[in-house]
Amino acid sequence: MDMYEKLEKVGEGTYGKVYKAKDKATGQLVALKKTKLEMDEEGIPPTALREVSLLQMLSQSLYVVRLLCVEHVDSRKLVDGKPKPVLYLVFEYLDTDLKKFIDSHRKGQNPRPLPPTQIQSFLYQLCKGVAHCHSHGVLHRDLKPQNLLLDKDRGILKIADLGLGRAFTVPLKSYTHEIVTLWYRAPEVLLGSTHYSTGVDMWSVGCIFAEMVRRQALFPGDSEFQQLLHIFRLLGTPTEKQWPGVTSLRDWHVYPQWEPQNLARAVPSLGPEGIDLLSNMLKYDPAERISAKAALDHPYFDSLDKSQF
Amino acid sequence: MDFDLENPLTDLHDDYFDSVTSLFLIESDHMPSQNYFLTLQHGDFDISVRREAIASVSQFSCNFDPLVSYLAVNYIDRFLSRHGMLQPKQWILKLLAISCVSLAAKMNKIEFSLTDFQFDGGMIFDPQTIQRMEFLILGALKWRMRSITAFSFVSFFISLSKLEDPPLLQALKARATEIIFNAQNDTKLLVFKPSIIAACALLHASHELFPLQYPCFRKALSSCSYVNKENMLKCYNAMQAIVLEGYEFVFEALSSSVTPVNVLDQQFSSSENKSNHTSTVTTATTTLRLEKGIKKRKISGY
Repeated sequence: MDMYEKLEKVGEGTYGKVYKAKDKATGQLVALKKTKLEMDEEGIPPTALREVSLLQMLSQSLYVVRLLCVEHVDSRKLVDGKPKPVLYLVFEYLDTDLKKFIDSHRKGQNPRPLPPTQIQSFLYQLCKGVAHCHSHGVLHRDLKPQNLLLDKDRGILKIADLGLGRAFTVPLKSYTHEIVTLWYRAPEVLLGSTHYSTGVDMWSVGCIFAEMVRRQALFPGDSEFQQLLHIFRLLGTPTEKQWPGVTSLRDWHVYPQWEPQNLARAVPSLGPEGIDLLSNMLKYDPAERISAKAALDHPYFDSLDKSQF
Repeated sequence: MDFDLENPLTDLHDDYFDSVTSLFLIESDHMPSQNYFLTLQHGDFDISVRREAIASVSQFSCNFDPLVSYLAVNYIDRFLSRHGMLQPKQWILKLLAISCVSLAAKMNKIEFSLTDFQFDGGMIFDPQTIQRMEFLILGALKWRMRSITAFSFVSFFISLSKLEDPPLLQALKARATEIIFNAQNDTKLLVFKPSIIAACALLHASHELFPLQYPCFRKALSSCSYVNKENMLKCYNAMQAIVLEGYEFVFEALSSSVTPVNVLDQQFSSSENKSNHTSTVTTATTTLRLEKGIKKRKISGY
């Protein structure tokens, strides 16, 4: 790890610290994610092996934060007389994320909406990245603006903090110190469904889409219950007809009966095609929710120059 | 998300054909270098290092799925290619083999204990030594452990054939699988991309099993934009010896089941049913054949 000069700690999560660092030879900025490995009687732990190699493969996409290399060092601390192995995952460093970007358009000296073409382009790249992960059988499970890193100069959006499995699941609260947010969580997860699938990520994509347009969160709940109420108030309390099986989910209760509101009023500046795409991302029944791949072909993106991607 | 050699990218089947394109684009990252191939072609010494390492892999992985040993040998080739040839010390090669088998088994979610590998002549490595070797291999392979191998392309190429009957498809796949396993031992084939190996193995299999459909299948594979026709032809010819060996294999197994020539033949034909691709088996037949005074063919080193 002597090749890198640690500059500052930029985050700390359940599984380790994140540092901003510089490659001494090339000057390239990187994000170092430090992960302690449980020393195993069977050599390198299998889950860590499988997850890192999966991450290695996923990060081949332009729309996923690139894993540059993996460095292994033995820490100086001895556990039972043996050095404890530590892995550093070396990622490319991007200095901003979608949350900071949206904030900069809401607050500060010059509050202004995000340009519609910018929203379109970011959403397209997000769907590309999500489609890529889903085609590898990987769910992100925690998509939110903080996890979408931006290369502002090139207008590129990249997905970070893929939640893969046990060892790296609980995503690091990287780059920020925020509490794990519920705002982007799909209703089936909030209602305790255990058999959730790719739809959970598409729900988050929908929430992020709306947030880019509104410059504030669509469903800012502060508890799981409040989160559901936020959703129900806008989209109406779900019924068995809309979403077969909903009332049998583990955490289903009796809720006030709200009628669905007009979605267009929540995102007033969005055109009809955008509204249509958004409403397909926010379908209650996960089976009806649009897939990332299908979203890429939605008419909302017709006016986008796709040759650049 | 599980790793499947036949489908390293995805387990959502409707997306398979989208992702196959990306397999063709990155398969070169998962093969040994051209230089490695040349070294092996010109030095008997290096061939013996590789051969010994592979023999150890067969020994250590004999209780696992044959795909584990196939993957382990893929790791060995890529490791030797990047790291340079190792000293031909027995313990180093054993350590390399154990570590590659261990990594391959873990990638395949196979439960095992490192102590299972310690049965061999008092050579004992502690878990820390094996872990160090594992890290050395991971570093050399850049943690690209979800190898793209010939198996990754089999389903895709089969879909280009006109065959539809499931039992026929299964037979085609089974024979191609056999050829791919054997091809791994032949250093002459190391130079070809995994997709080319897969295409040629399937072509040979179809030539044997469905000669009538062969021309059509060949045409379909040649017109696939990801397949380099010239390399396919070269590989097809180079594979000939392996396929012929396979014929003799089947023939010997058949004849020996009628009139066993000796005990070894018997054993060999019964192990043939379970797995006929470990290099020890090949070595056994080779020796046998030479012993029996059948024409002395030059067996290419593996």
